[in-house]
Parts: sequence; structure tokens; C-alpha cells
Amino acid sequence: MLLVVWGAATVGFFSLRMIQGDPVNVMVGLGNVSEQVRDQIRADWGLADPLIVQYVSYLARLLRGDLGTSYRMQQPVADVIGQQLVPTVQLMLLALACALLLALASALLGRGRRRAPVAGLLELVAVSSPTFWIGLVLIAAFGFGLGWFPVVATAGFGALVLPAVTLAIPVAGILSQVLRQGLDDAAALPFVDTVRARGASHTRLVLRHTLRHAAANSVTLTGYIVGSLLGGSVLVETVFARPGLGRVALNAIVDRDMPVVLGIIVLAAAAFSLVNLLVDLLADRIDPRLATERAYA
Amino acid sequence: MRVRAHARSWLRATVAAVAIATLVTGCSATAQTGTSNTLTYAINGGTLSGGKMDIHSSAFQATALVMRNSFDSLVYQKTDGSFVPWLAESWEVSDDGLHYTFALRDDVTFHDGEPFNAEAVKANFEHVVAPETASADAASLIGYAETGGFYAGTSVIDEYTVRVDFNQPYAPFLQAVSTAKLGFYSPETLRDNAAQLPAGGPGISVGTGPYILSDYTPDQSIVFTANEDYDWAPEGSAHQGVPSIDTLVFRILPESSVRTGALTSGEAQIASDITPNAVGQIGDDFTIKNVTMPGLPYTLFLNEAHGVFADENVRRAFALGVDIGPAVESIYQGQADRAWSILSPATPNSYDPSLEDSWTFDPDQANALLDASGWIERDSEGYRTQDGVRLSARWLAYTPISDAKASFGDVVQSDLRDLGFEIVRDNREIAQYYEGFEARDYDLSDWSFPSVDADVLRAHLHTGGYKNGSSIADRVVDQLLDDAIATSDPAEREALYQQLQQWNASHVAMVPITVPTAITAYSPIIQNLSFDLYGQPLFYEASLTTAQ
Repeated sequence: MLLVVWGAATVGFFSLRMIQGDPVNVMVGLGNVSEQVRDQIRADWGLADPLIVQYVSYLARLLRGDLGTSYRMQQPVADVIGQQLVPTVQLMLLALACALLLALASALLGRGRRRAPVAGLLELVAVSSPTFWIGLVLIAAFGFGLGWFPVVATAGFGALVLPAVTLAIPVAGILSQVLRQGLDDAAALPFVDTVRARGASHTRLVLRHTLRHAAANSVTLTGYIVGSLLGGSVLVETVFARPGLGRVALNAIVDRDMPVVLGIIVLAAAAFSLVNLLVDLLADRIDPRLATERAYA
Repeated sequence: MRVRAHARSWLRATVAAVAIATLVTGCSATAQTGTSNTLTYAINGGTLSGGKMDIHSSAFQATALVMRNSFDSLVYQKTDGSFVPWLAESWEVSDDGLHYTFALRDDVTFHDGEPFNAEAVKANFEHVVAPETASADAASLIGYAETGGFYAGTSVIDEYTVRVDFNQPYAPFLQAVSTAKLGFYSPETLRDNAAQLPAGGPGISVGTGPYILSDYTPDQSIVFTANEDYDWAPEGSAHQGVPSIDTLVFRILPESSVRTGALTSGEAQIASDITPNAVGQIGDDFTIKNVTMPGLPYTLFLNEAHGVFADENVRRAFALGVDIGPAVESIYQGQADRAWSILSPATPNSYDPSLEDSWTFDPDQANALLDASGWIERDSEGYRTQDGVRLSARWLAYTPISDAKASFGDVVQSDLRDLGFEIVRDNREIAQYYEGFEARDYDLSDWSFPSVDADVLRAHLHTGGYKNGSSIADRVVDQLLDDAIATSDPAEREALYQQLQQWNASHVAMVPITVPTAITAYSPIIQNLSFDLYGQPLFYEASLTTAQ
């Protein structure tokens, strides 16, 4: 896990130096600022040192848990991220719940000869619609049109619903596709006949047996899901004008606010490794074969 | 059969879940509305979160628009361009134009209880020019520059008298001190919170204004609460004392269609930065205020120091070869006028109306000019060439580019294509744009720059000016600009600025396109709303009728 974080920080550090654009120019804007002041800012931020010195001192600070200070906001990066973490995590959790619910509903209902093509089409639309567009359509329909959910008000659960649904739709599309495929594959396996022969009902068959098989497949998608929720939050937070990490990341990249961008990369890498660890543990519970295979190996 | 029954029960469960969710959220939504005497204002403001809440360092107009509510100025500029007392009871300019003496009100306090006095003015002006502030706009407003600036210093004469000194006469100063960017922070916040000012927030952005910044969530909202002690409105203001609207909520909504929707659905009572094509959708239930911005219009800068635009014939051909009038008409749908000069008609005491209709679309003359400059050959794509080099110009712009500007760019490209003149669009992120801009390695760039004083031309035309996008270096122009800034006689200044506008009309360094307008739409429940010269709403005099 440490290796992943270190790798991400290193790749992030060097690729950020490679892209064009002087952060000092962005800091002062096109203002009437002399070269002396610019040099002063460069010296203050350690931007005048050789790259390798900057890199080593960055890693040293990272080891001590110091993410540095934002160029733009002149605030410690940890504070910047800390302030914006909660709204993004709220949004991602609710979106994940929505996505699971939608995917389950579509996977369970969208089977059989007549309904499968409909579900397939819905999934295709969900996966291929741009998040930005979904957001604007939902705002126009359920926010301004029907007035069910507030768009301008920022407090309360209601304000979180439309952004979460927007973020959930593309994820639900993919998940549902995989689940449906998994259910169909599992239904063709011989054990299904055994279960049926034992007199188990259809509900029991699906919920206890085939869904477990299907879920084991989708769990491997978790990495993709976390990534797409985090990436999607940039667009969703912009459309719905919500604060959050996505907005911070976007602005930081545009403004070449390196410490913030690196801080978010490090955080994302850490979160990613943590989620994968949890998923590996969870996968054993869902699919006991994985544990036994390993025991015999 | 069983399958269908199960499917139905699933469906029922889902419907029930959705119904419950809707009910719960519906309740919480209705619970939030119904607060009285609160005004919600939908603004663009996407730039504010990046450390741009500081009036003294930010270059953005959005900062001044928001912070005007918390920060007062020494003098107030009325919409006719004249000045009346505000925090200064009176002022005096010495005969040589080098010294401005302000007699301050003695009853003004900051939101934190600190008194407003001559020391506070001095501390603020020193903060503006301090190198640590890295001021992008306020320092140049005050006339400060590291070398060759006008500003010499501020001295305290007595507790309520302050004098600002200049090295040479600096006529735009009174206008400058009327802007929010030269407003006053509490000396305590300047001392304790200097590093936090760009981020801003309650207890940090502390001024003397009619509203106190009481809550700030970056990228989401800014809340102002009425200052119960406020009793120092500008002279002649229609309202005195405590503002009548208790709470102002500025909701930051960068997406234009969301701002319009927020207004029409009633979630917001006022929305600004309305795009011309949205005006039609808003309908008759709302008041539309459309204010022509003063300053530099939306202008294309032809870089004389680089490539094909070094040749005056090519510059002239460019200006005559684009059919600007109909393009502006169709893109801005009557909400903005075509510009004829490098100053907007709304800039006080400076505009030259004789330039109107003086240069119009003339492709024949444009072709003749290009022929005369030797661009006679054509390549396989039909573009003009000379010595094997294509007649081509690179247009450097920064994202995000508004729909209107993108459409106009298409018109330029297609009209010049007809002349055999290629335009290559180079749209970049702001950080990459700065690299190209600083190096002046482009042929063409574009922007507008609102300003109430015609001195805005100094940064754009003076040799080495920081926004001199056309790389103009002309002694005559420099002299005219220097003379204009040194004279305080309005008629004399007007004549000098008219000469500068005529100079550009014959020299064609910049091609003015359209005069930007600030479009604000608001609900009729807002009464007595006034607007400043930039078309920004001023809430101090306004009130809400509860009848609706």
C-alpha cells in the first residue's frame, strides 16, 4: 500500500512538472507584478531549487504527513482537503447506494426474453450519457420543473439526492450489465437444478445462490466504480455547484496548484489501496472458493 | 408464473422506496423555504474559491461585486460619473495635483468594533502596495508601480485627516478610491489575518460596510447579515441607517442555465451574468436590467511585434474583412451593441462618437490591401501565400470560452477564409495561456476589460503595459497617455483620449468588436434596487415586499 502511494506521488510529482504553465503566473494573474516579486514567490515556495531537491524535500515532508501548503489558498493542503472531504464522501456514499439499488433492480427485473433487451438498452443509455447532461436534465425536470428537490438550497438530505442520482446512473449501468450477465451465467450452472430439486423457491435461488455468484464477478469492478465515482464527482460538483474534492482538484489542476493536486493524488491512491484491501477480504466471504483454493495451494 | 409474481413484488418494493424517499426529501425541502427578508442572489463567481476573496489582491471583478457589501470607500461615484462624500466628509486636491487630502468621518466603526480613522486608511494603502500582497489590480489602481509609479505614500495628518502623495499628477485617483478594491479592512484583521485574506471568511474579511460577512462555504455560498450599527451611507443615498434586507445569500452557480432556472423557479430572487440567449426564456415576470459596461470593449488584439500583423495593410484587411455588425446582432440577440472604438460609450468623459460607422465590412478593399502587400499566390487549399509561406495568424485564447465568443470566432475564421487568410485557433488552459501571452508569441488574442476610467488604455497601449496585447510601442501614444493622466481637467482629458481612439482607428492595432453588457434579472418583490456603473446590483437601498 505504501508502495502504491509512493508510486502515485512520484508519477504525479514529475508529470506535473512536465506540463506547461508556470504556477507563479497563475498566482499573480496578469497583474502588474514585477520580475522581482515573481522571483520572491518562487524562492518562497522552493520553486527555484533543482527538481531533484524539490522532489526529495517533498517526499521527506510527505513521510512526516505534511502535504505542504496550497499556492492559491495559502492554506495547508491537509486543511483544504479536510474541509472538502465530507461533502464528497457523502455524495459518493449515497451515489454508491443508489447505484447498487438501481443495478440490483434492473438486474433482477430485466431478465427473460422480453425484458432483457429493454434493460440492455437502458444500461447502454445510462453508460453512454454524459454526466454533465444527465445532471442538467435532472435539474431541469426534478429541480426546477417539478420542484421535488432543491437546487439552490444547500442544506439537508434533499439537496444531495439529485447529485447522487446523477453520479449513480453511469455506474449503475455498468454494474447492472455485469450482474445480469452473472445471473444468466449462474442460472445455467448444474447446481441450479440441484437447488431447485431440493425444493427451493425461485426467490431463494436468486437471492441465496445465483446472486452470490453474480456479485463475486461485480466485486472485481470495485476499482472501476471508486474511480468513476471520484472522477464523476468533478462534473457533478460543477453542475450542481457543490463544494467538494472534485471541484478542488479541477481548480487546482487549472491553476497549477501543485501541492493540492499532489495531495489529492496521494489521498486517492491511499483510498484506492484501502478499498481494494477491503474488497479482497469481502470477496473471500462472498465466494468461499477463493479461500479454500488458497488454503489448498 | 412465479417469476412474474416475484417481479411484481420487487416492483412494488421499489415504488414504495421511491415514494418514501420523495416524501422525506419533499418535507426537508419545504422546511427550508419561508424565511422572511432573506434575498438569494445567484451569481457566477466560479473564480472566487481560488484565493480571490481579497479585494486588495484579486484581479477579478467578481471579488469587488461580492465584497462591495462589506466594504465602503472614501468617495462614492454616482452613475453620472460625479463624486459625493462617503467615508470621507470632504477632500481637497492640491493645485499641482500631487496631494489628495481627505477629511474622514469620525463616527465610523469596523465590524469588529475598531474605529475607522486616518491610521486605518494608511495601514490599508500600505497593505495594497506591500510586495507580500502581490496585488494584481488594487496596486495599479492606486498608481503604484515598483519603478516609475505615481503613488508616493500616505501620511496621517491628524486622527481623522489623511493625505495621499504622488510623484506626478495622477488624475484617476478619485475614481480609484471609489471602487471596492480600495476598500478598508479593519487594522486588526490586517495585522492578524493577512495571510488568510485571499481565502476570506467570517472574522477575516472585516470591513465597515452595510453587511457583515457571516458565513462562507467556498464554491457554494456567501452569506451577509445586515450591520446593525451602519449609519454612514454615501451622501444623497435614498436609504440611510441599517439596510432593510436582513440577510443576503450569494449562491455561487457557475452554470448559466442553472442560474436562470434558479430564478424562474423562485429559488433565487435575482440572478446575474445572464447570457443574451437566456433573456428570452426568463419571461415577463422578471425585470431585466441591461447595463453597458464602461472601459475597453470586447476587442481583438493584433500583435504588431509578431508575424503577419507587423504589416499595417494586413491589420487593416483583417478589420475590414470580417462582417462584424450582423455577427454581433445575431450572436448577442440585441443584448449588446457593436463597438466602434477602443473605449465603450459608457466610459465617462472620453468616448469618441465620431468613429461610429466610420469603418464597415469591405471585402473588396481587404482583398486589394492583401494584394498590395504581396500576398498574391494561392496554395492548394486556397489560402494566400507569399514566397511559399501561407497567410496565417494564430489566435491565442484561454478556456473556458463562452458560446458567444466561440461563435464569433467561427465568423472571423469563415469570413477571412473567403479572403484566403487562415486563422488558427489555439485555445489553452489559463496557465498555458500565460506562457504564450508573456512571450507575446501569438498573432491574435482577445478580451474585454471593464473600467470606469479611460486610463484603462494605459495598460493596453503604453509601451511595456502589462495588458499591451498588440505590443504597441509608440512615443506619440505614450505621450498622450501620460498627458491624460497628468491633467485633471475633464475636457482636456476627453480630448486626449479621443486622439488615442483616433490613433487606433487609423493604425488598427486593436479591433473592437462588441460592447459588453451586464445583464441582471430579478423578481419584482425586490424594490429600489440600484446598480453601479458596472451594472452590478447594490443591495443597500433595496427592500423586499412580502406581498408576493
